[in-house]
Amino acid sequence: MSPGPAAALLAAAGTAAMLTDQLWAVALLALVLLGVCLRAPAERRGVYLFGALTSALGVFILSPFLWSSPDGTILWQGPTIPVLGPLDVTTTEIWEAALNALRLAALGLAFAAYALLLDHDRLVAAAGKARRSALAVALATRLVPSLERDAMGLAEAVRGRGVRLEGARGYATLLSPLVAGSLERATNLAEAMEARGFGRSGVTRAPRPPWSTRDRLALVLAVVLVLVAALWL
Amino acid sequence: MALVTVDGLSFSYPSAPAALRDVSLTLEPGEVVALLGPSGSGKSTLLRALAGLVPHFHGGRFVGRVVVAGLDTRRARPAQLAGTVATVFQDPEDQVVMTIVANEVAFGLENIGVAPSEIWTRVERALESVDALHLWGRKTTELSGGELQRVCLASALALEPRLLLLDEPTSQLDPEAAALFLAAVERLGAAVVLSEHRVPRALDLATRVFFVDGGRVLLDAPSDEAVEWLSVERPHYARACVNQTQATAGAVVAELHGVSYSYRQAMPVLDGIDLELRRGEIVALEGPNGSGKTTLARIAAGLVEPQAGTVELRGRAGYLSQDPGRYLVKETAIAEVALAVNGDEQRAGAALDRVGLGWAAGRHPRDLSSGERERLALASVAVAEPDLLILDEPTRGLDPEWKATLGDWLQEYAASGRSVLLATHDRDLPAHRRIGLRLDQTHASSEVHVGV
Repeated sequence: MSPGPAAALLAAAGTAAMLTDQLWAVALLALVLLGVCLRAPAERRGVYLFGALTSALGVFILSPFLWSSPDGTILWQGPTIPVLGPLDVTTTEIWEAALNALRLAALGLAFAAYALLLDHDRLVAAAGKARRSALAVALATRLVPSLERDAMGLAEAVRGRGVRLEGARGYATLLSPLVAGSLERATNLAEAMEARGFGRSGVTRAPRPPWSTRDRLALVLAVVLVLVAALWL
Repeated sequence: MALVTVDGLSFSYPSAPAALRDVSLTLEPGEVVALLGPSGSGKSTLLRALAGLVPHFHGGRFVGRVVVAGLDTRRARPAQLAGTVATVFQDPEDQVVMTIVANEVAFGLENIGVAPSEIWTRVERALESVDALHLWGRKTTELSGGELQRVCLASALALEPRLLLLDEPTSQLDPEAAALFLAAVERLGAAVVLSEHRVPRALDLATRVFFVDGGRVLLDAPSDEAVEWLSVERPHYARACVNQTQATAGAVVAELHGVSYSYRQAMPVLDGIDLELRRGEIVALEGPNGSGKTTLARIAAGLVEPQAGTVELRGRAGYLSQDPGRYLVKETAIAEVALAVNGDEQRAGAALDRVGLGWAAGRHPRDLSSGERERLALASVAVAEPDLLILDEPTRGLDPEWKATLGDWLQEYAASGRSVLLATHDRDLPAHRRIGLRLDQTHASSEVHVGV
């Protein structure tokens, strides 16, 4: 499938997950998206799946304590905390927490599928007048694996000096050089792009394969998915 | 008519001393110039001035005039010069924009408005000229440093520029790939300015030489005259100075038996490699890009577990990665070096002095030039005096004088009863044994002894 329609379909799945209030529908979307992500190579998908699923889990665990609802059956009665209020957990709060966690998971997984499986170059090429924005998004997407690679390289270089990095605190010392390194890389990349004519008028496009019937069907499905979620679910 | 005219150019980066001082030169169409000089002498800045990146991208104080193909770089932006000028920067990792190799090479062609029907043909031709056609559909994030460098070179060649600016373009290439690239450059027929620390490589191609030091052009002469000048004024540039001493090989410090490793299933990089390293000797691992030199070096250092075979280390190993950017963890150069010796600033200071960076002790490592960063990285690893010192491409960015100093120091280090393992394409470094890794038909490396 061409990356344009595939991106539209992923965006539609994320939008539908936000629009619908049906727990089963959001769960189904999240499951389908998880299945899509599992098609990516195991060594690359780990960081994305970890990010999407742990943040969803965090929302599920924390939100019953941070948001109160008088409805539903009280499952656990906790103390009352200033500012936060009563720490009761009700069935409604659990239901809302599950819904929001699944929504977040669906969004995270849609992004993961976009980052892991789509040809970003063709997306940039298909972006027409929005080429600059599309390129910025594609470069930002590549930031995740490049940061991951830099972090591993920094940690290995430290170990290669005979220094042991222990615990979260040890690895946290690499955060600042990691950020500084990525800023330096961004500046170097901007310089190289300018030297290669980026931003000049009269840009052309290398010919790409035309859209197939499958691509058109994917676009229709994307629209239908959003409409169904907005109107009936 | 001259393709390039530089007239009285002086330039300083913001809040920095002058990087170029009163530089004047001309360049004729098709002329190939070797740009030589020590690290931090202003070579990269001069290349940036010819590409219009100085002053447009970097800002700073710019005096004088640079005219390229009739365009005054004070008025024409670098993007306008693109196509007429193509630049290949030092770090291939920092100039890749697209995800897929073919699209990366096509990126510049699209920007300068090449007719769509021509783009893929030119991409194919450019990749073929650097023997990288097989990388066409590969992801740029999955390529080795050498492969990425070839892709960057192809991206520049595809533009068919009138002026090609190359900043250490072959630093990560094996000799065959470097020769192939330089032949492609020669065929292009463009004017070329080649900044290169591997001087013989540059002199083979160049018809003229600029020697820059302290921001000034000290020499502008035809190659034969330049060789004479260099042999008197800068002898390290005129010939490789390998003062090889005899090894007194001692006890074994590392033993690798039947080591195998693969990054992808069914595509082994190393297959059943044996390696024995002894105290008192320097061993060089050689082989083409992708033959597994780095992987074997990392395994020997204990940083990577082999998937088959055994590694026995009898002592402490230190490993220098080929990317000096990985040794920029602390806020000052001295703290960076002291990291490996529990903050002992006295030892760190001595190590910095040894690599000529004593003056930079209080400077932020990121303020150093690429050659200086390489030396800082070396000091950061060597300061702890490991029993086995493993250096992966340690001459990347090093000028010939520092390379000679490094060679002498490595021999002293080995003579003091320690062992050195080099993974390198650079034969100017001394080695008591050279072990070649060659790619066989299964893409795995096998070992071949290539001499003393």
